[in-house]
Amino acid sequence: MGRRAIVPLKYKMVIPLVLLLLAVLIYPMGSSLLVSFQDYRLTALRERHFVGFDNYLRIPRDARFWNAMSNTLIFVSSAVFLEFVFGFGLALLLHRRVRMRNFFRSVLLTPMFITPVAVGLIFRFMLNSEFGIIPYLLRSLGIEVDFFATSPLALFSIVFIDVWQWTPFMMLLLLAGLESLPREPFEAARVDGASAWFTFRKVTFPLMRPVIVVAVIIRMLDAFKVFEYLYVITRGGPGNSTESIMYYIYRVGFRFFRMGEAAAMSYVLALIILLLVFLEFQLLRMARST
Amino acid sequence: MKRLGLFVSFLAVMSLAALGAKTLTIIMEEVPDTDVIRQLIPEFEAQNPDLKIVIDAMPYEAMRDKILTEFLAPVSSYDIVIVDNPWTDEFAAGGFLVDLTDRVMALEGYDFEDFAKPIREIGIYEGRIFGLPFYNYALAMIVRQDVFDEAGIPIPTNIADYVKVCRQLTNKEEGFYGAAMQAKRGYKIFEEGKNYMYALGADVFDDEGNIVINSHLAKAALHLYIANLEAAAPKGAINWGFDEAFRLMAAGKAATMITYNWMLPSLNNPEKTGELAGKFAFYEVPGGKAVLGAWYWSIPRNAADIEASWRFISWVTSKAVEKKRVILGGAPVRMSVLKDPKVWEKGYGKQYYLTLVKILEDAEPLVRGLHAEEIIETVGLEMNNAAAGIKTVDKALDDAAKAIAEIIGK
Amino acid sequence: MMRRRLRSAVVHVLVWVAFVIVVFPYFWMFLTSLKPYWLITSPNVWIFRPVLDNWREVIFESKLPLYLLNSLIVGGTVALVSVAVGSLAAYSFSRFNTGGVPARFAILAAQMLPPVVLVISIFLMMYHLRLLKTYVGIIVAHLSFILPLVTWFLIGFFDEVPRELEEQAMVDGYTRFQAFYKVVLPNVRAGAAAAGIFGFVLSWNDFFYALILTGGPTKTLPVAVAGFWTFRGIEMGQMAAAIIVAIVPVAVASFFVQKYLVKGLGGGLKY
Repeated sequence: MGRRAIVPLKYKMVIPLVLLLLAVLIYPMGSSLLVSFQDYRLTALRERHFVGFDNYLRIPRDARFWNAMSNTLIFVSSAVFLEFVFGFGLALLLHRRVRMRNFFRSVLLTPMFITPVAVGLIFRFMLNSEFGIIPYLLRSLGIEVDFFATSPLALFSIVFIDVWQWTPFMMLLLLAGLESLPREPFEAARVDGASAWFTFRKVTFPLMRPVIVVAVIIRMLDAFKVFEYLYVITRGGPGNSTESIMYYIYRVGFRFFRMGEAAAMSYVLALIILLLVFLEFQLLRMARST
Repeated sequence: MKRLGLFVSFLAVMSLAALGAKTLTIIMEEVPDTDVIRQLIPEFEAQNPDLKIVIDAMPYEAMRDKILTEFLAPVSSYDIVIVDNPWTDEFAAGGFLVDLTDRVMALEGYDFEDFAKPIREIGIYEGRIFGLPFYNYALAMIVRQDVFDEAGIPIPTNIADYVKVCRQLTNKEEGFYGAAMQAKRGYKIFEEGKNYMYALGADVFDDEGNIVINSHLAKAALHLYIANLEAAAPKGAINWGFDEAFRLMAAGKAATMITYNWMLPSLNNPEKTGELAGKFAFYEVPGGKAVLGAWYWSIPRNAADIEASWRFISWVTSKAVEKKRVILGGAPVRMSVLKDPKVWEKGYGKQYYLTLVKILEDAEPLVRGLHAEEIIETVGLEMNNAAAGIKTVDKALDDAAKAIAEIIGK
Repeated sequence: MMRRRLRSAVVHVLVWVAFVIVVFPYFWMFLTSLKPYWLITSPNVWIFRPVLDNWREVIFESKLPLYLLNSLIVGGTVALVSVAVGSLAAYSFSRFNTGGVPARFAILAAQMLPPVVLVISIFLMMYHLRLLKTYVGIIVAHLSFILPLVTWFLIGFFDEVPRELEEQAMVDGYTRFQAFYKVVLPNVRAGAAAAGIFGFVLSWNDFFYALILTGGPTKTLPVAVAGFWTFRGIEMGQMAAAIIVAIVPVAVASFFVQKYLVKGLGGGLKY
């Protein structure tokens, strides 16, 4: 017993996680950090050399970077918001007694199981103004929409696709959260004759808060990586209106070979995301303590 | 026990067989030209019992990323790669590809000069050969011959006429368009629009290498392109790629399309177009000079056995095999094959190959050099900006010129 | 009574609306997989002579079943390992606040970096370990970004479990770990099942790592499906058939995991 007690349980329980992450990620993260301080072009590897903060100093003046950043922020906030609202709504609905509940639950999860490249291609077809089925149906209702032809709409069409695919994730997480809630508070509320809205606001929502924090943060992290839909559908167009930050970094690093610049941008991006996630985490936590 | 013995000897036989034949892995994509190669492989394997060919099919858009990472490994898992024309110079300059020059010159009867000139030149970087032509995708004008005949309109041979005819044939109420266009940002709009530039004698660089993408001729060409897009193409075409434009054509909803020459047999195939099959014909792009694309066979510098890889690519690009490949439906790259009556007879007919000869005589890739990919993306972005009305034509091409200067400066 | 019935009707209508929105693209895909090429672009055509070529090619002539199996093996392993390892870590973060807030965020670090800047190093590492084109290689690479997310996913569920539960168990003579294993864990079954599905989904959908790290016989489904998007256009019919083939087993599996997820409650609770 004596020797084993040296490492407290709380550390023992995270050891497998930490070891695995260190083993896989320490080298890639370290080397990409090094690369971010180099003039590192894949087509001229022999000429690579350190350039200090040059790659970082370039970023504030890089209009494309900030344009892509703002597109991404608009995308992330609107997509995650809609997914949360719809996902929570569906979770509440399916938490009730609904006929064929298990059937509905598993069918409503399926959009997650299609690889995003394919989802992008399917919607590229379905939303096509000339021969897509959705514009066709809308036209028969007298509505004429061209989903990817004009500037703000194209970005929101991408949001729409993301909502279709990832609302199920919110539903899954929040539904599991609802299922794990203790019963007693609800029974107490019922005995007190509380209205449904009151119960939701004063019992369900506060109890669900830890799960909600996690749901929003995880979804946000993933939404920042939006890439496939626009890679497949718009390539960032019309103009620069749907270019996302991941797509921009991918192009600079992989398509144009300038890995040094791409790595520097990645670290700036990581910092921005970290800041956002941290703020969100603290905000939601503060809300909990009041 | 007996069974175990059998199993062990089975394993031994298997591993001997595996040792006996060396595997050559080729990265390709899942397209008809790859199927043609699959049909030819048994013949190669019969002649070279020590080699076995495996094709690893990858999605087109991701192939370049996959190839690039494999270049960085000590030994590539691909023995042969196929390279698209915008990548050739960058890959060669990066030192990723084997210099094939001496091998090509030493090979008797290979006749490198037989490859159509514009095509073979793309495989050459600073005087050395790094890629052997696989198949061409030069652009041509595909038309609905029946529509032109019915309307009594002659096939346009210059770009201004082309734009005029497209407008004339458009009937938007009935959903019929003069031109199936692909104005998607990036490669697509540039690939299409550059034919308009060639028609007016404009280009990205002049002969001395000066940036002339913002010349008044280039601007005039872009104006014509946008005029055609607005008058004769569906509105959504601002975000269309090849696939949408081709489908519009295949569905019988467009009169013309500037696209890859070998899409003609596809369009005339009843499996793709049903009753419309046979009504399509192709011509040189208006103005005569076309955008050229082509795929190349190359050997990674870090391939496991360069000699074995060379045996395959020199065989598959030889005159005799090229002839078989083209008869099976592959897109030709050798002049001798294009002019071979036997090919005419067994392929798509004399007219088809002679038109192709004319197209290949005067064709040029979008951009060459070390930053080809980035320049293409940049021009394609600015053209799309102009087409979407985000910038004026003047501003867009001036910005493109500035951006290119910066890219080259890097 | 009236009101309750009305409410139940509204709930059912809303569920059906969601169902239609989700299922409509599948219906379209199914139609597309049966249409001849030139009719795919005609949304107003509903009656036509179906073509079965796409289905024949996908099921019998392609290697899609193999790639489907690969994805199931990789995704299943990733889901199991990440739930096992992740629930240990999540419990520690939730109950002991191990390493404080910085540690929680540190495990997400790789999550915030684009895969583009990591993938080349991971590729070279796997090369030297001879793990390229193996299941182990791609599973380990997937775990590196899925495990932290699954851990985060589970933290919320452990936070929901009242502390009194395990304190009571320890009073009854359980060690801390036994209390975790026998009392707390059964209470987060719903969360663990959902986390497993989530981990599976991330692995199942990953394209970029799978593209770079697998190949030949270990290729996974997303890479194969993306292959229908070629230089010569999109093979929409075949792709639609392939997607439907791929979704069905996963949907059926998730049906049973869901059942387990719901039934996990009520029974088996000791405290």
